[in-house]
Amino acid sequence: MNKDFINTFQQEVHPLLVDGNADDRARQEYVKSLKTSIQQSLLPAISGAYFQRALPAFAAEKGRPPEDHREARKAFADDPLFKAYLSINRISQELQWTSVIDALAEAGQQLEDNAKSLLPAGGSLTLDPDLEVPKYVSSIDIHCMPGGYCGPDGAHALHTGALYDRGVYLYAMGYMGPRNDDMGRSVCNYVKRNHPDYKPRRILDLGCTVGHSTLPYAELFPEAEVHAIDVAAACVTYAHHRAEGLGIPVHFKQMNAESTSYEDGSFDLVVSHILLHETSNKAMPKIFHEAYRLLAPGGMMIHADLPPFDNMDVYTQLILDNETWYNNEPFWTAMRNKDQIAMSVAAGFAEDAVAFDTAPMAIMEFASNGDDSYSEEAAKEIEDREFEAGEYAPGGGWEVLVARKED
Amino acid sequence: MNPNKIVKGKRPEFYETPGIDLLMHMVMTLAQEHCAMRDRLDTIERLGNEGQPVTSSNIEAYLPDQTTLEDREKRRQKFLENLFSVLTQNAAQLSTNDTKERFDALIDELATES
Repeated sequence: MNKDFINTFQQEVHPLLVDGNADDRARQEYVKSLKTSIQQSLLPAISGAYFQRALPAFAAEKGRPPEDHREARKAFADDPLFKAYLSINRISQELQWTSVIDALAEAGQQLEDNAKSLLPAGGSLTLDPDLEVPKYVSSIDIHCMPGGYCGPDGAHALHTGALYDRGVYLYAMGYMGPRNDDMGRSVCNYVKRNHPDYKPRRILDLGCTVGHSTLPYAELFPEAEVHAIDVAAACVTYAHHRAEGLGIPVHFKQMNAESTSYEDGSFDLVVSHILLHETSNKAMPKIFHEAYRLLAPGGMMIHADLPPFDNMDVYTQLILDNETWYNNEPFWTAMRNKDQIAMSVAAGFAEDAVAFDTAPMAIMEFASNGDDSYSEEAAKEIEDREFEAGEYAPGGGWEVLVARKED
Repeated sequence: MNPNKIVKGKRPEFYETPGIDLLMHMVMTLAQEHCAMRDRLDTIERLGNEGQPVTSSNIEAYLPDQTTLEDREKRRQKFLENLFSVLTQNAAQLSTNDTKERFDALIDELATES
């Protein structure tokens, strides 16, 4: 990351956004600054500690470098710089959530009033009180977000989504754009660019949380009917109100992507964004099968998620694997070792119709929308970045698994 | 404690010495509060520069423009650079191989009477 770049990205204000009072916002700005500083100063420091201290010590003892991230972690675990980095990184995550929770404490009635006064945009919300939330969502608070995707017991219906909406913005330090929608936007652009004649009529977004990645589909494929599902009632409830508040029609439903109630062949495009690594060994193949079942002939499945570990060096793997241990992401690393091509073929796709690709980041578009903090210079800075393990966003693009069902 | 701040999933401990994890969290929280107060002070100064009364409602209503956002971010980065300076210094000394042995040898060479 270029040290001269001053990140002042600001989230777009919408009727459901809760950022709190002036002090809350200042505390949130600190979280963004802290995360920036961790990437700019601490990450290079620990990289030095690994290559100049831990690696030579390991090699001197074993006569070879660490073979994988597990060995590398053992070699590096007691390094004081590594410990400091890990602890400060964890704390940045904790302060991120508490700075929004404090803001939410004052927001209860206002949030509800704002939700009630929205003009309808044409979307809908369908909840399923009988849906059993899978263990990979209910048993741990992913990203250390207190209450997780379903929210703490007795939480206000809109608070969990509001917490996630603002928290993701801080986590990404604004790199996902003013609406946190860069992933969805990038995949839309990818589809349009690579398949100019493909006109999906019905689109389904799996594991949509608050709809950050969903809304670009409705925006960029205005002829299509867009559906989005998530197991968490709290997420889809907020997603629905947020979408209506932004004037974008989407049908949000509380459903499990492993087994939905839509009929066979209901969709031309089935997508997910950073969903798979938050599921499980057992769930992931089921989601692929379900996506295949839901696709009409000629339809496409696209999963935008973390790149596999295959071609990464051991140090990069080690840094990325920190999320598993220190950010409540049990499936983060295991998912990267799955053979997603084989899984797609097992689900029914032809082998020559499945491939990994890169969807270039759409962030340059924000620069032309007149938002001062997303200047052309700032967007260019991001576009030109090289991928660095431990930094939030990959430089240039998102990894996508693309599979097409036969006609 | 606000029950809404409790996370499901055991918090890892990073340091062997009891209390250091706790202390680190407290230090970083105080740093957050320092920065929030510094931003509030900055708002007060800017209101004053514009000849506006410094009232709670004026402070709350103040929306920083792009230049102000950049000034504040630069100040926070400078603060964090100082906050982490021993950490980054240790890393820098590692890369130049500036060791305790070199320091001790230098004392021997320059200050020990033969």
